[in-house]
Amino acid sequence: MRDIFFDLSVRSVRLNFMRSILASIGIVIGVVAISTMGMLGTNMQLETKDQLSAGANTIVITPDVVRMGPPESSTTSSSSSSTVITKAQLSKIKLAAGSNASAIIPIYSTNTEFTLSSTPGRGTIYGIDPDYITKFLTIENGTNIVGANDALVGSTIATNFDLKIGSRIKVGSSTSGSRTEVRIVGILKERGMAADSVSTDNAIIVSDDWYTNQYGGKDEYPQVNVIVKNIDTITDVEEAIDAKLNTNEKTPVIRIRDASSMLSNITSTLSTMTTFILAIGGISLLVAATSIFNVMMMSVNERVQEIGILLSIGTETGEIRRMFLYEAFILGIIGAVVGGIGSLVIGYSVVSYMIGTTDYFFQPDSIVYIPAGMLIGIVVCIISGLYPAWHASNMNPIDALRSE
Amino acid sequence: MTDIPLIRLADVSKVYHLEAGDFTALNHVSLDIMEGEFVALMGPSGSGKSTMMNQLGILDIPTTGELYISGRNVAKMTNLERTHMRRDAIGYIFQNFYLIPLLSAYENVEYPLILKYKKRDTTGKAAAVLKSVGFDEQMSSHRPTQLSGGQQQRVAVARALVNDPKILLCDEPTGNLDRKTGYQIMDILSGLHKEGKTVILVTHDPKIAEYAYRTIQLEDGRIVES
Repeated sequence: MRDIFFDLSVRSVRLNFMRSILASIGIVIGVVAISTMGMLGTNMQLETKDQLSAGANTIVITPDVVRMGPPESSTTSSSSSSTVITKAQLSKIKLAAGSNASAIIPIYSTNTEFTLSSTPGRGTIYGIDPDYITKFLTIENGTNIVGANDALVGSTIATNFDLKIGSRIKVGSSTSGSRTEVRIVGILKERGMAADSVSTDNAIIVSDDWYTNQYGGKDEYPQVNVIVKNIDTITDVEEAIDAKLNTNEKTPVIRIRDASSMLSNITSTLSTMTTFILAIGGISLLVAATSIFNVMMMSVNERVQEIGILLSIGTETGEIRRMFLYEAFILGIIGAVVGGIGSLVIGYSVVSYMIGTTDYFFQPDSIVYIPAGMLIGIVVCIISGLYPAWHASNMNPIDALRSE
Repeated sequence: MTDIPLIRLADVSKVYHLEAGDFTALNHVSLDIMEGEFVALMGPSGSGKSTMMNQLGILDIPTTGELYISGRNVAKMTNLERTHMRRDAIGYIFQNFYLIPLLSAYENVEYPLILKYKKRDTTGKAAAVLKSVGFDEQMSSHRPTQLSGGQQQRVAVARALVNDPKILLCDEPTGNLDRKTGYQIMDILSGLHKEGKTVILVTHDPKIAEYAYRTIQLEDGRIVES
């Protein structure tokens, strides 16, 4: 059989049904706000992380060409820095990385126009040694580059231009006479925003030989990617490369970054955003807490004489407190359950609308916001009920009995 | 029965500190009530009857002097001990019945049992006591507001009795009842006295006071006749 104090609380809530429901609506809104905001933020983070983590074990090395100093210093630095990574520098990188690297991939790239059966397009063209391509790119359809004129295309281009294996693309400006045709042998898997700075979705990948034949600049790489064997050694490898190449601290010749720093930057920005939007949700719970507190105080004040009766016939103060905390708990449960269901529906819609995918919605990191929001809602209710319950249990039974 | 009085007031005073100044509601009152007595407490309004009942019901403690119930000094007990004594040793019957509005007649009687044993009553005691005071069994699921004054007072008497207390404190138990119902309630109380309960009754009505074997007259916080 149920606890009589719980029964009393249930009956009190029922007696003041409308008032109780209105107070619970505050909690519903609070729970929905917290859960939805939390899920939105987390889904954003999960999506970004997923897109970036593809290249998490990759060090991206680019020439340090940005000089923001006074003009006189630029003359000195220009001698030591260039816009490409040279063959000598590449050798040094190989030396520094040593056996820690599973692949060191020099990458040529430039922007280009191309034409597909007279429809013009624009994108990036990458020149990569075919042996390295499959080390970090996934060919969804077709095969890797074999012949001199073979090329791979990214998924966006493939979709937009309805490209098939065997389609041909003319690369180069449509006004230029020297346009070469490449044949598509493979279509790459969608990559999104890649951490290793190789964004292939809107790109054409050709062999390094084809690239240098077309654009020149052999052994002058705009980017070198080092894929480490063990992700834990990534910092050591970076330091070794830095020590080997950036011998003059004031005028570094290369810039070294990796996905982890990029990932942590983006994740920290997103988590700050999540915290911020969670705080907005929290404000609504604060408002709800005030209304629960108000309703609980009303309940206590309306039942002063009853409290007097209970105390005078031997009810312990703890039992009186329990009765009112149950009442707050019931309001919390109602709010939390309705809020939880609401969060599922509203959260799903908001995530679907704002992020465009609900792939991550049911992942533990995201869906946990619903029970967490519900729990917070209940806890907020109980906290709001603490003072009213304490107030009720500390009444003088004689004064309480006399009140009408 | 023992020679130790069930209730002993030794030079008890109760002073209320009001804005207008101190008000002495009980003024050096000494009184012994033995187990099994039936005492009527009488006196005009403001004579200290209610204050006396609050002291006897240990809802309050004396400002000076000592109050012993079953040989224990109530001022030296903890709050929890006093609560347990109210629950186990004292049954209260009020003029306004003071039933718990959210509970049914049966649950009102069951309530003190739950307080004592921390669980719902499965022994049938609540129903038996309710029946013993002549309460219609079919109405036991009714809420207090659905009952007449007489029925409510029967429930209140049953509630006071259910934990088998030694002392029954009755504050104007017939004050809100018609004459006939009032006498019915008094007959029940009289029967309980005969069964060995110590009954203390506050009343204005000399006819009702006649049920008691001893009358204590209070005036201005002092006992003028005992």
